[in-house]
Amino acid sequence: MTQDATPPREPSSSREPGSSPFDGPPLSLDEELAAARAEPEPGPDIDTINESLADGLNRCPKCGSTDVRLRGSTGNLVCLFCRHEWHEARVEEEFGLGVGIDDLQGTVVAGGADEIAADAEDVVTLTCGGCGADVVVDTAHALNARCHWCRHTLNINERTPNGAVPDAVLPFKLTHGEAVERIREFASKRRLFAHPRFKKEFVPENVLGVYLPYLVIDARAEASYAGRGEVQTRRWTEKHGDTSTTYYAADVYRVDREVAFTVDDLTIEGAADRARFDSSTTNNIVNTVLPFDTKNAVKWNSSYLVGFTSEKRDLDVDDLHPVLEDQLLSIGRAQVHDSLEMFDRGVRWEQERIDVGGSRWVSMYLPVWLYSYYQENTKMLHYIAVNARTGETMGSVPVSQPRLIAAALTVGTFLEGIAGAILVGTA
Amino acid sequence: MISEVVMATSGDNAPLWILAAGPAGAVATYWALYRYYRNTDKSHAYERDTLIQAQPVQGSEEKVDHISKTRDSDIDGDNSSKHRVRVERLG
Repeated sequence: MTQDATPPREPSSSREPGSSPFDGPPLSLDEELAAARAEPEPGPDIDTINESLADGLNRCPKCGSTDVRLRGSTGNLVCLFCRHEWHEARVEEEFGLGVGIDDLQGTVVAGGADEIAADAEDVVTLTCGGCGADVVVDTAHALNARCHWCRHTLNINERTPNGAVPDAVLPFKLTHGEAVERIREFASKRRLFAHPRFKKEFVPENVLGVYLPYLVIDARAEASYAGRGEVQTRRWTEKHGDTSTTYYAADVYRVDREVAFTVDDLTIEGAADRARFDSSTTNNIVNTVLPFDTKNAVKWNSSYLVGFTSEKRDLDVDDLHPVLEDQLLSIGRAQVHDSLEMFDRGVRWEQERIDVGGSRWVSMYLPVWLYSYYQENTKMLHYIAVNARTGETMGSVPVSQPRLIAAALTVGTFLEGIAGAILVGTA
Repeated sequence: MISEVVMATSGDNAPLWILAAGPAGAVATYWALYRYYRNTDKSHAYERDTLIQAQPVQGSEEKVDHISKTRDSDIDGDNSSKHRVRVERLG
């Protein structure tokens, strides 16, 4: 089945069968002619729509069954009817994402990283291509659903009006069992001072596979920094009675540094809830399991999501430009660090500038195994997160404050005893 | 014991700061354990773990002043290793 090519930025036509879209009051002849002569609305800079999935059903290319899911051990899609395995093309080669970073100009946005329509509903109604029934999908939480009549798996494979569909997906690699083992190992090293209720309620088997939305960015930038650096010229000690003081002499320099660089696949959180890193959240835990092997991401096909939950992106490219500039400035500072060796008393940067020559944005779902625990007394959501590609694990375990304080006091008392003994001995 | 300690601290050879060892050790123990459990300081090191290709660093330095005598062993506000601490933005 094929679909007429439509500009992806244009909201797709109504999904209610039989209804015709209302496109405003009739125009005059002149206006109609002007509209017809006008340039078409620009599409995305990189069009990533998977045309083969336009009917919302992902069929096995061998037998046509739609009972398809991810096989974790191979990272391929597998047809549960005929056992045929296949995979989508890697976006790296398909859309040339790994090349041309040096020549990037302006902001290049792939279709899936286009702006989220603020007024679009999360709930989308799909008509099942198998039996014609209407199936409702809440795109805030899932991008696929099962037809309750014919059991076809329906996928949001087209661009939806709310821009929920990413460009690419990186399939899960670590199995549920492997994730459970890593979470158990992580928590078992932190049992002694863990909150008793956490220990009682800890069931690592409840870990959930979640696809989290990220924007993966290639960028070309020039960063410059200005500040002061000091070089020690002399060091001497002066005696004042029984005490002595060390003094220093130093030359002060004005320091300027510039560096031009490219970054490949810088990964930034695309959901506002996950992007806040203040002390009231444990979002840094999920952030810490980055980076992913994003070079292996494949073209979007929501069959990769069957059996996993997913979170919708709600931050647009414009929202994340300041975050990108911030990270590029940090990367530039790290790059110039080695050129500061002569300043043995240190450097104080006072001004900085970033010029982003070009950036390319791709929206991607990345796989994470998440064990979450809500601590009621502090109202904090703790996570133990496992990168489902690399296995990197990081977590936040709620602590038992009484036990922690008792341990601190024990150590403090012991050290104070030693200090007292030394004082008595030297008296 | 306490009176002996107080007497010792008032003596010529008594280093008073050693009494801070107990409170400092308690705070350090608390902080180290808390951090091991909660990992509040961890984040993705994108400065290191991202594919970066940099051109050679350009720059200059010009001597503008001389400090003839100071007790500070390093420059005030050294942020050369604190890559994520932002300073005044130009442009």
